[in-house]
Amino acid sequence: MITMIIFGFLATVLVGAGIGVITARNPVYSAIFLVLAFVTSAVLWLLLEAEFLAIVLVLVYVGAVMVLFLFVVMMLDVNIAAAREGFTRYAPIGAIVAGIVVFELLAVIWAKQSGLPVTAPLVTNPAGHSNTREIGLALYGDYVFEFELAAFILLLAIVVAIMLTLRSRPGLRTQDVAAQVKVRREDRVRLVKVPAETEP
Amino acid sequence: MYEFIDSLLAFLPEPPRSTVVTLVTIALQIVPLVVVLILCVAFLTYIERKVIGYMQNRIGPNRVGPGGWLQPFADTIKMIVKEVVVPANADRFLFLAAPLLSIVPALAAWAVIPLFPGFAIAEIDAALLYVLALTSLSVYGVILAGWASNSKYAFLGAMRSAAQMVAYEIAMGFALVGVLMAGGSLNLGEIVARQAGGVLSWFWLPLFPLFLVYFISGVAETNRAPFDVAEGESEIVAGFHVEYSGVTFAIFFLAEYANMILIATLTAVMFFGGWESFLAGPAFAVLDGTVLEFLRWPSLGWLALKMAFFVFCFLWFRATFPRYRYDQIMRLGWKVFIPVTLVWILVEGAMVVARIGPWSA
Amino acid sequence: MISLTHYLSLSAVLFGISVAGIFINRKNVILLLMCVELLLLAVNFNFIALSRFMGDTTGQVFVFFVLTVAAAESAIGLAILVVLFRTRRSINVQELDVLRG
Repeated sequence: MITMIIFGFLATVLVGAGIGVITARNPVYSAIFLVLAFVTSAVLWLLLEAEFLAIVLVLVYVGAVMVLFLFVVMMLDVNIAAAREGFTRYAPIGAIVAGIVVFELLAVIWAKQSGLPVTAPLVTNPAGHSNTREIGLALYGDYVFEFELAAFILLLAIVVAIMLTLRSRPGLRTQDVAAQVKVRREDRVRLVKVPAETEP
Repeated sequence: MYEFIDSLLAFLPEPPRSTVVTLVTIALQIVPLVVVLILCVAFLTYIERKVIGYMQNRIGPNRVGPGGWLQPFADTIKMIVKEVVVPANADRFLFLAAPLLSIVPALAAWAVIPLFPGFAIAEIDAALLYVLALTSLSVYGVILAGWASNSKYAFLGAMRSAAQMVAYEIAMGFALVGVLMAGGSLNLGEIVARQAGGVLSWFWLPLFPLFLVYFISGVAETNRAPFDVAEGESEIVAGFHVEYSGVTFAIFFLAEYANMILIATLTAVMFFGGWESFLAGPAFAVLDGTVLEFLRWPSLGWLALKMAFFVFCFLWFRATFPRYRYDQIMRLGWKVFIPVTLVWILVEGAMVVARIGPWSA
Repeated sequence: MISLTHYLSLSAVLFGISVAGIFINRKNVILLLMCVELLLLAVNFNFIALSRFMGDTTGQVFVFFVLTVAAAESAIGLAILVVLFRTRRSINVQELDVLRG
């Protein structure tokens, strides 16, 4: 009963946040609504007892990817009025297409002959069962090759992102911090003994 | 605790009773922790001024109350009665919401910290990940504060501060991977239990570079000196919270100190044995059976002592070191700390395979 | 009693919202990337719900990989966007129609 109420509340917030992403005035507000959507789905995954992925969602998506989005949105000077143009013109057709897609998906889910256990409640894990351990065993056991491939994809993303955006502006003078740190006292300070000046 | 509350509320009918008892139990555990934490944070502001004052050969505040110990109350009252100024053309909702995004992760992370053997408010199996996730949420308070202030200094300070926090978060994450390899579990209580047996079996010894990287990254993560270029008063006015006044500024201020205490406690839990005593282990076994035996028992006091030492180190760094320049900070985070952690994780992997140190069992 | 249908319907609605977002938004590349993130979130929901209700861990492992690839894809997408903005000073989707860099 309590879980029903919690699920209903979270589902409402999630759908509201999704609509907020599309209809917000300001790209920064869209990004904040997307953060809300991610945090709400993390809590919903906690309801499903997938706690490792829920926390990883917050850590990776909210903690890193959305920060990246916010940085880009804030630094690009977006002309907000021009960016919102055409919203009311295309809203009805967008709503119709989305409505058809959702109707088709729901029809498949609610069909009687799908064979899925669609009305059975969730089989909760026994106490002491660790979702992290279960995923760890599967990831490093059966799927270790895909894991290495995912690591390679991330390395690729790092290299590509840096290579695309790195630019050296001509005439810009920078400091070589490594050379500054390697400096020794003998190169900078020289003690000279100067005889005292006496009155003539 | 649960059974005691259950017996008190036995007059309620069955369906809502177990939920109500659970909620009351959790609330009765959270409220003392939060109250004590906020008092600690308030007095930390006073202790910082006294300690840094004595280090600089002067007395800190000593006017308000005997010895000045009522100073935090005076500061709190002053900040609450000041006017909250919202800048013109600032985004009002985000301007007022940003301080909350700063302080809530700092307070929420205390739910999983093991205070004494067998007790943490929430004993979850992914506690270390939870703490990492919450420290990454505190970046949002900074970014939104800077952007919503509609001020160039605030925005620039916020972007620099956020970039610094994200960079040092990665170094902290890698240091925690090393702790995870040593502790064998993401559960913080289990990590502390693995360090039982005296000072030499705590994780600071096999993971010494990771301890240094974690603590220094923690100093950088909370924007404390010597890494406080984004909020140093002599450089960029006050960085991302320049437009904040009154109770909103007080919340940012409290959030910074709460984060400091959190990082100090996490260092104590993960590298220095948490609630373990200094005198535990075979070296001081002569005390067993004497009247001083209680000094070998684990307790909350040992955790508080270690946490106090690390907080003192935070204050010590502020009084001692000159401020780093921003490009030096970023170079340190990306090009020095991350390679150090990666190399030490490799070394630790070799130690695990060769069964040296804590893996010799 | 919350059953599988509730979770699958929720993910279908989220998917529909992001499809509507891609349709309605004619101008803003950043909003397009955010709608793609919502799409991936809806798909992750499906995977996790089915994995937990059918008792197979493979779904959750696949979500792990989807998270990885989505993070990589948004990083590269935003890098491309930043470089495009530097040269063209606009994030209007309809103006990005020249193959010449």
